[in-house]
Amino acid sequence: MGLDLSVQIGKIKLKNPVLVASGTFGHAKEFEDFFDLKKLGGIVTKTITLKPRLGNPPPRIVETPAGMLNAIGLQNPGVERFIEDKLPYLKKLGVPIIVSAMGYSVDEFMQVVQTLDRADGIDGYELNLSCPNVPYSSKTETLSLVKMFAHDDRMIEEVVSAVRQVTDKTLIAKLGPDVSDVPKMALAAEKAGADAVSLINTFIAMVIDVKTRKPVLANKTGGLSGPCIRPIAVRMVWETAKRVKIPVLGMGGIMNAEHALEFLIAGATAVQVGTANFMNPEASSQVLNGIEDFMKKEKLSSMKEIIRSVKS
Amino acid sequence: MFKETCEVLENKTVAPDHFLLKLSSKKIGKAALPGQFVQILCSGDSLDPLLPRPFSFLEASPTSFSLLYHVVGQGTELMAKFKKGDKVHVLGPLGKGFTLRRKTEDGRGKRLLVGGGVGIPPLYHLAKDLVRTKEVKKSDIHVFLGARNKSLLLCEKDFLKLGVQLHLATDDGSKGHKGYVTQVLVKFLKSSIFHLPSSLIHSCGPTPMLKAVSLVASEFGAPNEVSVEVPMACGFGACLGCALKVKGETPGSHRFAIACTEGPVFEGSKILWD
Repeated sequence: MGLDLSVQIGKIKLKNPVLVASGTFGHAKEFEDFFDLKKLGGIVTKTITLKPRLGNPPPRIVETPAGMLNAIGLQNPGVERFIEDKLPYLKKLGVPIIVSAMGYSVDEFMQVVQTLDRADGIDGYELNLSCPNVPYSSKTETLSLVKMFAHDDRMIEEVVSAVRQVTDKTLIAKLGPDVSDVPKMALAAEKAGADAVSLINTFIAMVIDVKTRKPVLANKTGGLSGPCIRPIAVRMVWETAKRVKIPVLGMGGIMNAEHALEFLIAGATAVQVGTANFMNPEASSQVLNGIEDFMKKEKLSSMKEIIRSVKS
Repeated sequence: MFKETCEVLENKTVAPDHFLLKLSSKKIGKAALPGQFVQILCSGDSLDPLLPRPFSFLEASPTSFSLLYHVVGQGTELMAKFKKGDKVHVLGPLGKGFTLRRKTEDGRGKRLLVGGGVGIPPLYHLAKDLVRTKEVKKSDIHVFLGARNKSLLLCEKDFLKLGVQLHLATDDGSKGHKGYVTQVLVKFLKSSIFHLPSSLIHSCGPTPMLKAVSLVASEFGAPNEVSVEVPMACGFGACLGCALKVKGETPGSHRFAIACTEGPVFEGSKILWD
């Protein structure tokens, strides 16, 4: 009996539910020595902006108990050079390519996606509404009141609706955890036409060097990721999957198959492996193997038997 | 670049709080070049601490490699407990190492290796390779070592065995010049008559030392390369965490180089020091 691990996210049929998270997998080539990238259910690229970005000054990372903070600041070559230099390799892989896109205003979000939409080989977009490490600026009055798009349901709706008008491809909204009501934000994305939501981005966090009394990161704050955030992420996925009709992609500190299964059982249709890629470049491949082993052991044949199977 | 589970062959104290770790390896040791590094998962499968730790090679062979580390925190404390036969997850060889071969017009150039603290081991790897490949005559390889005291002049005996020219400095004057190793370097550059533009200065050690060596080198018109140490997560260019401020393409501009893939060895003149 063959295992059917396929899942559907918008218009994309993934052959399995294991993707790699934006900002943790470079543009995939960095990992080609470690495993056959074709195994992946999908690849989410490092976030691309309209113009090239130098990123934040160092130090950009600091380790914390069972996690790490990063404040990379979206260092990327910009949309045009991404299409020229990075996309040709990605599209040859034969794996669904989801480009993480970000703009500093609604207009810029539209421009990035419009530019990407003219290129070949992209299956969908994950809108990074929740990078904690870059300042946002906009003429929109509502935006000046919030630190990031994902902190305001009206802004999420505005961005997603605008981008929805410029592309027919699968649109995923990546939301941040630093809000009191994540499902409310997910509902806003759904209402605006998102095909799915990704939960969650990193938590805004801080580490201080007590000797110098200065924050360790040059950016002062950074995004907390790794196993320490996983239980919160699982809870947020569980809460959200009950409320929205669109699929939820779950992520946050997945190190192995058991962690991935927690997210799937809680209600995620697919998962993204993130920080684990840094200490174990084969992590995503091992997560997939582990899910297959679990299915065989539990005599399951399709993902339907796992997704949202949480018992009360 | 390989992911290998290596067996601990040896893990012994070589100086106060400094250990030499020798690991079996079928792939990494064979491919290792001086100045490249490995990422060691100190915590094994427990992932506490979470991130791997980067170390340069001290020596490498087709069946093993070794590194020399200073116990400074949670990760290296765990490493100090490694026993013979333990299995360790390693990633490597990573990054771009030191310049080995170099065309010079007249072959008159010297190689000056300047090291401090745990920056010394990769310079030993380099010196050994330069001697083995006969790239430079032993008498044209000058090694400058600096440490707090004589017990921390790492690899001193190994360099002597190699037959290269050794210059020492200690902060407390317990061996060699009392003061900084860069002072010894300046004195040497001032008193020696040799062709500086065809020579090359390699340095590895604390950042203030690298900066000083780089400034001295440019003052004397000698090309120089430094191996930097910056906070790092993945080690293979995925996280973009190990940024280093370097000169940009246009005069006066800057950009952030990713030390694990573009380095850790950089041309000293390209770095924008704080």
